[in-house]
Amino acid sequence: MSQRIFGVVLLVASIGLALSAWGYQAPFSYEPVGPRAYPLLLLSLLALGGIYLLVKPASAHAVSNEPPLDRHVVRKVTTCVVLLVIYAAVFELLGFIPASTVFAIGMARLYGGSWRASVIAGLLLGVGMYLLFDKLLDVPLPLGILSSLEI
Amino acid sequence: MDTFGYLGQGFGVALSPYNLLTALCGTFIGTIVGLLPGLGPINGVALLIPIAFALGLPPETALILLAAVYLGCEYGGRISSILLNIPGEASAVVTAFDGYPLAQQGKAGVALSISAWSSFVGGLMATTGVVLFAPLLAKWAVAFGPAEYFVLMIFAIVCLAGMAGDKPVKTAIAACIGLFLSCIGIDANSGVYRFTFGSLGLADGIQFVVLVLGLFSVSEILVLLERTHHGEQAVKASGRMLFNVKEMMFVLATNIRSGIAGFVIGVLPGAGATLASAVTYMSEKRLASKDNKFGNGDLRGLAAPETANSASACGSMVPMLTLGIPGSGTTAVMIGALTLYNITPGPLLFQNQPEIVWGLIASLFVANTMLIVMNIPLIKFFTKILAVPYWALVPAIAIITSIGVYAVHATTFDLFLMTGIGVAGYILRKMDFPLSAILLGFILGGLMEQNLRRALSISNGDLGILFSSPITWVVWAMVVGMIALPIWRTYRRRAERRAEDAAA
Repeated sequence: MSQRIFGVVLLVASIGLALSAWGYQAPFSYEPVGPRAYPLLLLSLLALGGIYLLVKPASAHAVSNEPPLDRHVVRKVTTCVVLLVIYAAVFELLGFIPASTVFAIGMARLYGGSWRASVIAGLLLGVGMYLLFDKLLDVPLPLGILSSLEI
Repeated sequence: MDTFGYLGQGFGVALSPYNLLTALCGTFIGTIVGLLPGLGPINGVALLIPIAFALGLPPETALILLAAVYLGCEYGGRISSILLNIPGEASAVVTAFDGYPLAQQGKAGVALSISAWSSFVGGLMATTGVVLFAPLLAKWAVAFGPAEYFVLMIFAIVCLAGMAGDKPVKTAIAACIGLFLSCIGIDANSGVYRFTFGSLGLADGIQFVVLVLGLFSVSEILVLLERTHHGEQAVKASGRMLFNVKEMMFVLATNIRSGIAGFVIGVLPGAGATLASAVTYMSEKRLASKDNKFGNGDLRGLAAPETANSASACGSMVPMLTLGIPGSGTTAVMIGALTLYNITPGPLLFQNQPEIVWGLIASLFVANTMLIVMNIPLIKFFTKILAVPYWALVPAIAIITSIGVYAVHATTFDLFLMTGIGVAGYILRKMDFPLSAILLGFILGGLMEQNLRRALSISNGDLGILFSSPITWVVWAMVVGMIALPIWRTYRRRAERRAEDAAA
């Protein structure tokens, strides 16, 4: 069933994208193929793929490698995605250290750590990763609200 | 002999103390990264790209680092397969078939050292293959024009789908999704913004590192949520750590056969280590005498996939270096890294920057040797790492991944994009779409469009140029063969099943 839904989504998406790609035309062109042809070609292949998924009967022999989803897992996955989005939103705003500490505590709780262990892990990761990457490996990270502490 | 002169020069590069140290760090980091659940060779290598860049490593050192990490990851994945029966990635699945039973029988040390030895033999054979064949292919590849390249890339995509076994259509769809994603952003030829929908963050296209880490790290983090077990007990590696001469001779023929097969499969674009390990395991099982113990701890069943694995890992460097076409997900990542350094892999690389190519090839020899020397004494240490609980490990992986993404452009837009791609990747994975096909499509996509447009500019829009030279005819014939093969195989399987039904 999910195959069919995906087939429909793929088909609708490729038609929609193809419609928006229709207007891609170069004002001046020095070559016979414009910017439009190649994406349109791919989108039509994808649309064909969508139709195939829609039409093809689910095979009885097909074995899925992935365990099926249940409500419990879906809730956990959603929480995890929400955490990631919040992390992305506050990454620069709060700065790396506070954002990562809070995020790590949330993630550690989600993966079954006790409160105490999660808080310790979060603090260690937030500060440790900053020192490792910003100071040692020269990858610049935002300080955010802690920027007054910068030496 | 030109080749040996160059190889000597390459060893000169690889054996300089600085590069030697880099290779040592790379193999060590790689082994640990491969060992950890949620991180495999693909995201291991991708994570190091921004770091190598930030550290200001010269290109050949960076490439040596990435190659060493790649080989280390391939090896590290074995440790968790053998001791935990949890393969870290797809190509290690077969290793667990015989590796875990061996560990349960108290031969974990022997199993680990035999697998290290097999990887070493496979890597050595394949690297020799690279030395012998890559320059030949590079010389030949200079004759390739844009039309030939375009057809060759079609072959690579078709090969990917045809080799995928049970799900060719899904692989093809995944590859097309990757090809399409590469269209996003400013079109380099005309300056038209494609599929950006007014977003500035997308104007530059989807960053390669963002795609890789989204697809492989974020989706893996989500998958780990499903496995609720915490700190599963690893089998203790006790008893004899080293295999004896008898055991070595027992697997020698298997090593040689699987090494050759693995190299050939690795060279084919699109077919990677997963296929190589599965194919060699099955053929060794067939070759073995009736009273074999395959599946219950046969050393040959462990040696075959291990040898093939590292042979194909090295073999996939051949199309990457000579044609600029990746043979596996990880080499796709390495091409992405090369592009960051403004190095275009392809036949000209052999002429213009031989120190990079031969330095890399020589460092494959060095890294293989280091792995076997380092791994046997350090097995006890590596098994300790397996005991790290998820609640400490996963947040660390998530934070490192975010740093890797942020380091590319220093915008939070990429972090949102990574999360979005990760969710999409998770859904696709749940529906059994192979994610590495998306990655290969993404790498090939840009090249493919450029070559198609260049070819058609030469011919002034005449499609005939795609069928005009003997090289294109040969490649088209291979494309047709590759499409026909799986169809024929399905047909035969159906016929067999029908015959069985009729007999029953």
